[in-house]
Amino acid sequence: MKSSIKVSLLSLALLLLVVTGWSGWTGSAAAAPDSGKTYVIGTDITFAPFEFQDVSGKFVGIDMDLMEAIAKDQNFKYEIKPLGFNAAVQALEANQVDGVIAGMSITDERKQKFDFSESYFESGVVMAISESNNNVKTYEDLKGKKVAVKTGTEGYSFAESIASKYGFTIVPFDDSSQMYDDVKTGNSVACFDDYPVLAYGVNQNNGLKIVTEKEAGGSYGFAVSKGKNQELMQKFNTGLTNLKASGEYDQILEKYLGENASGPANQSRWGLIQDSLPPLLTGLGKTLLYTIVSLFFAFILGLIFGFMKVGRNKFLRGLATVFVDVFRGIPLIVLAFFIYFGIPQAFGFTMPLFLAAILTLTLNAGAYVTEIIRGGIQSIDRGQMEAARSLGLPYRKAMMKIIIPQAIRVMIPAFINQLVITLKDTSILSAIGLVELTQSGKIIIARTFSSFDIWLVVAIMYLIVITILTKLSGFLEGRLRRG
Amino acid sequence: MGKIRVEGLKKSFGANQVLKGIDMQVKEGEVVCVIGPSGSGKSTFLRCINRLEDITAGRVIVDDQDLNDSKTDINKARENIGMVFQHFNLFPHFNVLKNIMFAPMELGKMNAKQARETAMRLLERVGLADKADAFPSQLSGGQKQRVAIARALAMNPDVMLFDEPTSALDPEMVGEVLGVMKDLAREGMTMIIVTHEMGFAREVADRVVFMDGGYIVEEGPPEEVFGRPKNERMISFLEKVL
Repeated sequence: MKSSIKVSLLSLALLLLVVTGWSGWTGSAAAAPDSGKTYVIGTDITFAPFEFQDVSGKFVGIDMDLMEAIAKDQNFKYEIKPLGFNAAVQALEANQVDGVIAGMSITDERKQKFDFSESYFESGVVMAISESNNNVKTYEDLKGKKVAVKTGTEGYSFAESIASKYGFTIVPFDDSSQMYDDVKTGNSVACFDDYPVLAYGVNQNNGLKIVTEKEAGGSYGFAVSKGKNQELMQKFNTGLTNLKASGEYDQILEKYLGENASGPANQSRWGLIQDSLPPLLTGLGKTLLYTIVSLFFAFILGLIFGFMKVGRNKFLRGLATVFVDVFRGIPLIVLAFFIYFGIPQAFGFTMPLFLAAILTLTLNAGAYVTEIIRGGIQSIDRGQMEAARSLGLPYRKAMMKIIIPQAIRVMIPAFINQLVITLKDTSILSAIGLVELTQSGKIIIARTFSSFDIWLVVAIMYLIVITILTKLSGFLEGRLRRG
Repeated sequence: MGKIRVEGLKKSFGANQVLKGIDMQVKEGEVVCVIGPSGSGKSTFLRCINRLEDITAGRVIVDDQDLNDSKTDINKARENIGMVFQHFNLFPHFNVLKNIMFAPMELGKMNAKQARETAMRLLERVGLADKADAFPSQLSGGQKQRVAIARALAMNPDVMLFDEPTSALDPEMVGEVLGVMKDLAREGMTMIIVTHEMGFAREVADRVVFMDGGYIVEEGPPEEVFGRPKNERMISFLEKVL
């Protein structure tokens, strides 16, 4: 009996150690001197040929090669953060990254918030349709149809500007491969995207064909937050000029867009899946890690707030109710955006991605665990507490020895349920760039355009893991009931 | 020891006043049966005597300790006041033996060996020595209530409170529980029993208290209260139950 108290004290101490260790770690990172600073550069994950992962998991593409060459020329260190386009732009606004290179068009609107480099690529929007479609040739043919576009891109603005004129509706997506899939499956009849991106996709057999000439427009620029990181901007511009002069710039473009650009790897479906397994398994590991760590902290939160909710102190009860209502009432993705982009922007600090991810999952699951614990405790007949108290047991002892052991049996199925939900919910964090299982799948599809195979593998992986966990928990539950 | 003094006890639940001013003295070793129609406040009254209900006004003094005094350690005081509930409230996750041993051990009254010996002795006393390893779910109602009595006795209290201990039992099991209670009464335990068993009250009680509408309406030795009831409501109540 005494030993269980020791164990809980020990785990509490361990928790404090972890928490203080964390804050210490982030603190020292923030205080690092500026000299020899490693710039953090945000980018898209699925914008071939500007940025995408190759088979070995390395980020390549025009933007990546350009950045590497410029950094070498100007002698600075950088770190690439593939966040997805929207997340990268928000991260730049929130000063979570120092710069963004993501095939970003220079627009007047964006100039309000960002400083742009010299244009490093002249682009232009084209329209693509399914390979098998012979009916759509011009914008006029889109009347009454749906058109897929990627949010925040030049293609989106262009589609928007002509949508009412030609009478089509816009279906927005977050990345290119989803947009292509929507066209291939026939939900949308066409898509608009920057010429090099679509050209590259067609080159990789993404199942589409380009049917229009390039619209005039779009120059791509490297961006920093307005008035910030001017030194980095300077280096980028100088480096770009040097590369153009030396001919290295043309070589990079040639590598991805020229006649001799490499076509799709000749790979069987099975070979592709085999190649995809290692990154997917790494992603799965991350998913499990984030689930377990978050649930651990959620459990602690749930215990604290759960006891507050069944306790006699009105103020604490109110506090716990507010906690549950707030975090149960906010959709997980909104909470993630708020924590990762909103709060750092408002208070001017940088939040590590892992911390934002764990915080999001912990607060969300914590609210549900609180309710599970409250419900479990309140499901135990009042007479149990009265009997224990009438024997002279203090409230806390009666709670720990009489109520909780009975309540836990009631709670187990709900806990298993929460485990499954949180595990699946980690996929939502791919929206802030967390490379867990779902995001790993997206990254591979961005390169290979093989949606069916990869999503099937990803789905099966989730199923297997969740089935194993459910069976394991069921076994434990059975043992607890018998013992 | 085992004296109880209740003075001007009032208890309200919100706007609903259940006890409207109760005075009562119980001597050491006295057995008091509380009877009355349902809703008369009998159970609430009993629950005030170990402070399972906080009182609204008045005083409850058990062995010179005012239970509602902020200086009183209510947990300590409760160790001396055993309580038996209508619905037994045995701990379902413990076996019979552990149900009885639990409180004395947890509160540092006895070591494991002493607690086990005490529990076995009590189980023998209530005639359930062979059920030591059974779980509550495997017992009949009467057996459960006898275990519950043994559990309360394990703390060696000077006062025992019984809240309708036989109301939830099948008729054929009432006798075995009342038998155990009679033994206790004979041994000189101070007892307050809320009950509907008029025969038992007549036989065992030193004093019968009739409650109605939050007041004590009539009290006295059983032969007087049952034999020559004075109060009108008491008369009509007895007509209904006898």
